[in-house]
Amino acid sequence: MAEEKDQTGSSWDDLPLPDKYPEPHKENRVGLNGEAEEGASANPVEESTKDQSVKCSPNLLQMLKAAKSWRTAQGRDREEVSESETEETVAEARKTDMQIQFTDQKKDFNKRLTKTGRRSLSRSISQSSTDSYSSVCSDSSEDESSPRDKLQKNSKGLSDFCVKNIKQAEFGRREIEIAQQEMPALMVLRKRAGGEKPLAGAKVLGCTHITAQTAVLIETLSVLGAQCRWAACNIFSTQNAVAAALAEQGTSVFAWRGESEDDFWWCIDQCVGAEIWQPNMILDDGGDLTHWIYKKHPSLFKKLKGIVEESVTGIYRLYQLSKAGKLCVPAMNVNDSVTKQKFDNLYCCKESIVDGLKRTTDVMFGGKQVVVCGYGEVGKGCCAALKALGAVVYVTEVDPICALQACMDGFRVIKLSEVIRQVDLVITCTGNKNVVGREHLDRMKNGCIVCNMGHSSTEIELASLRTAELRWERVRPHVDHVIWPDGKRIVLLAEGRLLNLSCSTVPSLVLSITATTQALALIELYSAPEGRYKQDVYLLPKKMDEFVASLHLPTFDAHLTELSDEQAKYLGISKHGPFKPNYYRY
Amino acid sequence: MSDPVGEAKLEVKQASKEVKESENVAEKYSAMTVSKNSEMNMGELSSAFSAVPTHKPVKKQIQFVEDKQEFSRFPTKAGRRSLSRSISQSSTDSYSSAASYTDSSDDETSPRDKPQVNSKGSSDFCVKNIKQAEFGRREIEIAEQDMSALISLRKRAQSEKPLAGAKIVGCTHITAQTAVLIETLVALGAQCRWTACNIYSTQNEVAAALSETGVAVFAWKGESEDDFWWCIDRCVNNEGWQPNMILDDGGDLTHWMYKKYPNVFKKIRGIVEESVTGVHRLYQLSKAGKLCVPAMNVNDSVTKQKFDNLYCCRESILDGLKRTTDVMFGGKQVVVCGYGEVGKGCCAALKALGAVVCVTEIDPICGLQACMDGFRVVKLNEVIRQVDVIITCTGNKNVVTRDQLDRMKNGSIVCNMGHSNTEIDVASLRTPELTWERVRSQVDHIIWPDGKRVILLAEGRLLNLSCSTVPTFVLSITATTQALALIELYNAPEGRYKQDVYLLPKKMDEYVASLHLATFDAHLTELSDDQAKYLGLNKNGPFKPNYYRY
Repeated sequence: MAEEKDQTGSSWDDLPLPDKYPEPHKENRVGLNGEAEEGASANPVEESTKDQSVKCSPNLLQMLKAAKSWRTAQGRDREEVSESETEETVAEARKTDMQIQFTDQKKDFNKRLTKTGRRSLSRSISQSSTDSYSSVCSDSSEDESSPRDKLQKNSKGLSDFCVKNIKQAEFGRREIEIAQQEMPALMVLRKRAGGEKPLAGAKVLGCTHITAQTAVLIETLSVLGAQCRWAACNIFSTQNAVAAALAEQGTSVFAWRGESEDDFWWCIDQCVGAEIWQPNMILDDGGDLTHWIYKKHPSLFKKLKGIVEESVTGIYRLYQLSKAGKLCVPAMNVNDSVTKQKFDNLYCCKESIVDGLKRTTDVMFGGKQVVVCGYGEVGKGCCAALKALGAVVYVTEVDPICALQACMDGFRVIKLSEVIRQVDLVITCTGNKNVVGREHLDRMKNGCIVCNMGHSSTEIELASLRTAELRWERVRPHVDHVIWPDGKRIVLLAEGRLLNLSCSTVPSLVLSITATTQALALIELYSAPEGRYKQDVYLLPKKMDEFVASLHLPTFDAHLTELSDEQAKYLGISKHGPFKPNYYRY
Repeated sequence: MSDPVGEAKLEVKQASKEVKESENVAEKYSAMTVSKNSEMNMGELSSAFSAVPTHKPVKKQIQFVEDKQEFSRFPTKAGRRSLSRSISQSSTDSYSSAASYTDSSDDETSPRDKPQVNSKGSSDFCVKNIKQAEFGRREIEIAEQDMSALISLRKRAQSEKPLAGAKIVGCTHITAQTAVLIETLVALGAQCRWTACNIYSTQNEVAAALSETGVAVFAWKGESEDDFWWCIDRCVNNEGWQPNMILDDGGDLTHWMYKKYPNVFKKIRGIVEESVTGVHRLYQLSKAGKLCVPAMNVNDSVTKQKFDNLYCCRESILDGLKRTTDVMFGGKQVVVCGYGEVGKGCCAALKALGAVVCVTEIDPICGLQACMDGFRVVKLNEVIRQVDVIITCTGNKNVVTRDQLDRMKNGSIVCNMGHSNTEIDVASLRTPELTWERVRSQVDHIIWPDGKRVILLAEGRLLNLSCSTVPTFVLSITATTQALALIELYNAPEGRYKQDVYLLPKKMDEYVASLHLATFDAHLTELSDDQAKYLGLNKNGPFKPNYYRY
């Protein structure tokens, strides 16, 4: 753990920017093992004091590493998913590395006392920031020349963008229109606020996944009066057609699917475009953009009105920066809003566990014996869904309070080894490592399905299955049969990675919650009176959280009751909320 | 129903219950309407504290109301208090348990005037009738069956005697369940003197059984106000015995000692307080800088809160409705007003029985939760004409108004699971054109001029206290928490607890839960060293940060 601690200890500020690195370190970093990480993390502390004024002389590999080590775990998972089989081994190695780091960050993050104190312990990663993989991605275009080298012009003659193929715009537009159907909250927001243009004058710099859902968000921001420039936060997640559609409409988008690491930073730099355009708001997912501006354009950074950050990783970095006293603009943490947390964990997992298992194995749940390891938000969702289908559900838990909740909800709480011989399905969602070990796998019955809903791929002890006597057979994408010498087969899903990202989708409604929260956070930061937000990291005000929820209620044709004046007075709250104190558990 | 004696007995029982409730619950909350918005300032409070309690029920109740309001606004340092809109049920105890069996003893002399001696010759107690001890012992044994956590605590800690030397004065409801707690404390090495925190709730035979075993108990059912304070005083003021711990429910004992025996009070090692009211008083005292001993707030522990609201209501809503109306739920259309912890419990229980459940809600977040859980979120007016049952649990007032009652269909049931009896506008039903007909205890038919009947339960008071019981298991959670809080305060090294109000450490909360797991034959998984290191946790807990929502 020593080296991991080092990694955590080095704050965001100290993370290396590519150009500061002398040659030798390159080799270290290519190693991609624990030692290399240690070297990398130990060094920047000294390095950061060095002169930074060197202009972009990008050492690509280092850049890549630096960027990688900030990328969130789910980003990585996703990269692996999108990568072809041939790249599998490389991806695997990288993953281990980064997961460890992620865990550490996460842990530290959890330990920190937030000033608001209402952060929930999200053991599963933020899913909304990962977007839906399975929506249409147009990677069939075999154009070999990099978009950077091509002259691009949209139909209006603008060329301030860089996408794969501007001709796909029409197709991308249809994608966006489909997404709009499922993101009613943003559409309502456009209508409600469109008249007053609350973002008039805002120059928003964005770095998120570029998908149809994000496009709806970007266009909403435009409708609300903002000017937007956008880059991708992940080199594999961009939907080229959507990027083209956005560029066609006049948004400066710099993104394409399959960027190189160099492209990635080039895009961000193009996006910032310091000379011609001064941004005053940042919308970030993962913190790369924020970091780039902080390092490369400190004068721009100081003039920002606010940062909105979505991912766990990015939030962690902001808190580090704030702790070091170097955060000179207000930042908004949208990751920990109640609605987003509940949707990312409880509700999303409740739906995707069944979907993921059905898609991969076509299993029938009625009467099956299932063990769910962990009874946090994710575990509660999984148990509820499986119970509803008639499965016999057992729970393993380490925390007696959660265990008692499981008891009261009608689940037997057992140790894994007590039931391992008889179960048909093992689902892990603890956030821990080696929850299902080789000794458990050895004792499982033939045909038992093993999968992971927790945030990291450490929960199932995979390494122990890569031994000579066991045969691996890939029967479908994401489905492996592991065959014991005696012929027993275990069905392993997604190689122990997060099931619902690998084998299921994130529903648009969940993404809609996130996007709406982001839009409101931007509005709040932009239009807040001077002095309301200091140079610190804030949680979205509860009232905004409630507003996000209320925007989604029409989807369900739900009719909220309004308090009468008398009733509001009786309860001592405003008629329009916030309705609950901050410590309310929901 | 053919047995007239039984019926009469039932009548008596109900009547006594009525009195209790109107004293304790109804007035308390009707007072709330009056004093609701009056800001409570420090001056008022200290006067409330220093006033010699002469007209106790009214005075105290009004104060409680204000307390409660202030309390919910009060920013606690720990910040993990849950918004408990229903009152603490565990502190209210089960009315319908054996408490009233002994009502028939028509002994007119006050227990205060009778010389009392138990079989060991001790006379340091005061109960109604020491001869009932054997009966009370059986009651205690029944309660022990469902309080296995305390019994296992006895076993686990008996050899260490963690409370050896502790001299505990207690002021709680005296019921079989409390008796199990008291005897546990004794088994752990403590000396106890006990009095009742409510003049109606004492089970006389249990008090007798406790006295018989040597615990100094001063309590009987139906004390007068004067008796109440006399009992407390006898409990505290004993030659040669200085208490060093307080276990309180409501804050009366603490207040008495603070006022009357300041010297003894200063030497107390810790106070454990269970009720919302008492905790609020302690916070006020602490804010004023007058709290000179550490105090432990057990009301807001996670386990207790969840059991008092979600789990308890989930069970008692069905029980309460069945006992009173024998209604069948399958296919019935039910509206639950409010989707907080209580509402979530009610909805889950009703859905499980096949009822068609709609929810009304003001908070969009809770509204969205209801949607995701599969309940239609409606306004009451939209469905009022077609629903069969209306259940209120908002904590608000006038949620169901006369206007809506007018539009309900014949035979629909209206009841309240929220903490106050203000949710249904009962006053508006007391008009000459409507006929009230009491068909059972706690069940009123209200008859409109056109013959339409609406069934009102418990006159709009909290249904599960009036028409159902609080399960022993819920009381066990509270009692175990109290016992652990006492142990923690008594054994804490000098300086761990300052002169302030503390929440029970999360680890203790987890320990309470773990003691109850045995009941379900639940087997906790243990973290390996490796895993604990990976998560950065201690193997033995606490497992979650304080802000975790559960």
